[in-house]
Amino acid sequence: MSMRELVTGGAACAVPGSSSSSSNPLGALANALIGSSSKTQGVLKEIPNATAASPHPQFYSHAADPVAALPGSELDRPFLQSNAQGSDFIRGFRAADANGFADAWEEIQRQPPFDPLAAPAPPIQPTLDGPPQRVLSSFLHSFVDSSRSGVPLHPTPLPLLGLSQGDKQCIRDRSSIMARHIFADRSEEFINAQVNALLSSLEIENDIHARGPMPGRFRELEDYWNESQGVMKPGAHAADGWVTEFSQNRIHHGDPDTWAHSFEQQHGAGGWASEFEQEQAQLTSVDQMRGGNMQSLAAIQQTRMLAHTLSQNGDPKFQNSKFLQFVSKMSRGELIIDDNQVKPASENWATEYQQQYNRGASWADEFAQNEVFRGPDQWANEFGAERLQQESVDDQWVNEFSKLHVDDWAEEFGRQVGEGTLGDGSSDWANSYDEFLNEQIAAKQRSDASRGVYVFSDMNPYVGHPNPLKEGQELFRKGLLSEAVLALEAEVMKNPENAEGWRLLGITHAENDDDQQAIAAMMRAQEADPTNLEVLLALGVSHTNELEQSAALKYLYGWLRHHPKYGTLAPPELADSLYYADVARLFNEAAQMSPEDADVHIVLGVLYNLSREYDKAIASFQTALKLKPNDYSLWNKLGATQANSVQSADAILAYQQALDLKPNYVRAWANMGISYANQGMYEESIRYYVRALAMNPKADNAWQYLRISLSCVSRNDMVEACDSRNLEVLQKEFPL
Amino acid sequence: MPVFKTPFNGYSVRFSPFYESRLAVATAQNFGILGNGRVHVIDLAPTGPVINELIAFDTADGVYDVAWSESHDSVLVAAVADGSIKVYDTALPPQSNPVRSLKEHAREVHGLDYNPTRRDSFLSASWDDSVKLWTLDRPASLRTFREHAYCVYSVAWNPKHADVFASASGDCTVRIWDVREPGSTMIIPGHEHEILSCDWNKYDECLIATASVDKSIKIWDVRNYRVPVSVLNGHGYAVRKIKFSPHRRNLLVSCSYDMTVCLWDFMVEDALVGRYDHHTEFAVGVDLSVLVDGLMASTGWDELVYVWQQGMDPRAS
Repeated sequence: MSMRELVTGGAACAVPGSSSSSSNPLGALANALIGSSSKTQGVLKEIPNATAASPHPQFYSHAADPVAALPGSELDRPFLQSNAQGSDFIRGFRAADANGFADAWEEIQRQPPFDPLAAPAPPIQPTLDGPPQRVLSSFLHSFVDSSRSGVPLHPTPLPLLGLSQGDKQCIRDRSSIMARHIFADRSEEFINAQVNALLSSLEIENDIHARGPMPGRFRELEDYWNESQGVMKPGAHAADGWVTEFSQNRIHHGDPDTWAHSFEQQHGAGGWASEFEQEQAQLTSVDQMRGGNMQSLAAIQQTRMLAHTLSQNGDPKFQNSKFLQFVSKMSRGELIIDDNQVKPASENWATEYQQQYNRGASWADEFAQNEVFRGPDQWANEFGAERLQQESVDDQWVNEFSKLHVDDWAEEFGRQVGEGTLGDGSSDWANSYDEFLNEQIAAKQRSDASRGVYVFSDMNPYVGHPNPLKEGQELFRKGLLSEAVLALEAEVMKNPENAEGWRLLGITHAENDDDQQAIAAMMRAQEADPTNLEVLLALGVSHTNELEQSAALKYLYGWLRHHPKYGTLAPPELADSLYYADVARLFNEAAQMSPEDADVHIVLGVLYNLSREYDKAIASFQTALKLKPNDYSLWNKLGATQANSVQSADAILAYQQALDLKPNYVRAWANMGISYANQGMYEESIRYYVRALAMNPKADNAWQYLRISLSCVSRNDMVEACDSRNLEVLQKEFPL
Repeated sequence: MPVFKTPFNGYSVRFSPFYESRLAVATAQNFGILGNGRVHVIDLAPTGPVINELIAFDTADGVYDVAWSESHDSVLVAAVADGSIKVYDTALPPQSNPVRSLKEHAREVHGLDYNPTRRDSFLSASWDDSVKLWTLDRPASLRTFREHAYCVYSVAWNPKHADVFASASGDCTVRIWDVREPGSTMIIPGHEHEILSCDWNKYDECLIATASVDKSIKIWDVRNYRVPVSVLNGHGYAVRKIKFSPHRRNLLVSCSYDMTVCLWDFMVEDALVGRYDHHTEFAVGVDLSVLVDGLMASTGWDELVYVWQQGMDPRAS
């Protein structure tokens, strides 16, 4: 039972009916343009790449699990609604008889949607007679055709197609795999941009754990290795000439170095290393591309380059491709899709958008402004302004609500430890996004993993990497946490005794909001090096986070015992029967001994949270903050503790500090919203939730909180936008 | 030469091993990305360049491949993108079909091959990284071969050794398997990019061809696979499917995302002996008739199936 469960009871936040077709900025755009519909309800968020549409049982267990109600954990587990509605459109289409197909097909053929004049106005709601199918069809055509001349696919607002999650997954997975065949000549960035543009337009989340980047050479290296290490198979079945021959051959060449030699012969020594580096470079840049905002920027840029690219491709066959022409017209703004119709644009498409969906600047402009003119500093100013308006309000039920506000120390601690190398908090949104995507998936995949058993990822491209530890450290430093996890897993698979590898892996998981894996990794680190202080402290924090008091005490005590400075404070006999009071007393002594050690104060703060002595916890964190004023995660800890102790107004100040230090700290944005809601300032809270969601649309809990706040201010008109996760509408309605 | 129009995008075409004029075509809506599928069984008219549809079977998801049974002239198996394999009997009316649905693969089934020597079993290659062995008299697969690290796109039985087959995968390897062995017996790291197709030479059971996203086709001798016997360059995009000629040892046919179908003689220096550019979209399915020397068929995402005699223009009618 975790602390979250204890304090939340789950009910307050288990808002049924919230849907979850989340959106990246482009998806949001599409949303804004086409409105929303209940058809999109009940869509399960990104499913890991496993089996098709059937929901995993563990999703349900998550939904029932109040852990999902942890406030401020923007990375939270998915909240599943039944997918029973499925896709009316596709199902209907599939149910159609052969004539129905034929009719639909004839219609498609007769009135190709790329013909701006011929396309009739189809009904808004998906119906059986084809129009949504036609729209989808033509759009997929344009995707496929965009390969012909390397024309970047333009993210396109599409009418509501009513795709079920299973459909979306199909599109995502298949287009990812196919794109790597079709766009073989293009860079990984291009391929990803193409797939992203496709998925964005269809409001499908990309998911890097889908069948994404092609596996590189290193996989096969691994195979080589396994092969040469493996058991030699008996050369059975004499009848099979060459097969047997080969088996014998293999025994003959069975020494483990063979593969290396043969590989070197083929590729030259060091060949594969450089190959790998290339691969990594690609991966990295892909990661940056993949993030939501970056992605749309990239798409915009690509669109601008389109005309140029087109003019350079001379192959008449490709030029004559009807779909290519469609795409090219689209990209030049000669055509737009509007209300299911492809129309010739009167002016340029951006203007058109602006006129039709007149809410000020076009999304592109808006985005450009946000991205270019609004640096992180701007946020702070904005915040300052907001804060002037803020009043302290006391409210009844929100006291209850504020208790939801337990924070996740493990993640905080991970960040804090990482900060030494992490430097500033200016890592871009794209990376943060990426992490969030990854960690959600990771959490789901591992949800059933038993406690304490480390679960490795299936497909690890870093196996075979010459120095995965270094790579992992580098990735961690860059904030590419999920990539870092893979690299570090490769490291500890290679060197299971490497405490540092396990420790960093644990920290990365903690920062990735995966406590179970963090604990599992840290326990392995501790096995490898039982006295490593950082490991012990991290374990203590993680267990505290899970409210496993005895385990937490054991590790915190261990930290003290093995600390060169405080070791003398801890009598060995105490280890057998640890009591909270004893450990707290020891740490207090340690704090007196060296009041300048922020770590001790942080541990104290954690301990006091364990005993719900929030005032003392706050005091400890405040002391620690005097020593480490730039630790944003510490500020967040303070805020969470204040919120726990019903001091939401103060909590907001603390979160403010955290956000000043790290403007893309999504959790703090969401926490701000919670604190405002706690004070009855629902209107304010909505703005913060929306802001947090704009940064990470996958924060399921924030969607639920948002829904609560919307209900509280009777903004039922916006509840639908919330249910359909229509960020664009929400952002316009509730700018921050 | 006859042309057949399919409502969906063509994915695969196969000549019947029993009737020289019969073919099966696998098609998928929306390029197989989303939507329905259909298997067409078509007959070349005895007179004139006409193709008649004998029967068609609809599926709930795209069909990526078909394979004719080698033991029953009316039975064929279809690889469906929803992970299932459907068994159809053209002698039965549509409502009696599919006679069997084999659902084990967790993801898209992309390739099928019916054992031409034992004639009782077939293989399926799936994007769930596995290959499965099936017989029609059992409801479940006999074996699952799991070693590939990425999608398996294609499988091919060795024409001589009834228990040996090859699988081509996106993990950049081709694996050679013997169904009597627990694991693969050979790994050929054939290309730098994904390998989409493989096929055995019908006259030399040691020769295997691989086709890759790297645009090349390579011919390998499994007795010495360190270097390829031959590398065939000429396609402008990923090579999607290859097939050795059942009639001429050195001849093979390929189709590609460059929209062309190519004929190759891998033993001569100018290996490219023919290029057909009749398709206007990606050419993804190609086959050579076992029964009629030189009879070829191809299909592509332009929703057209062409059947023509080697040396002729597929579009000439």
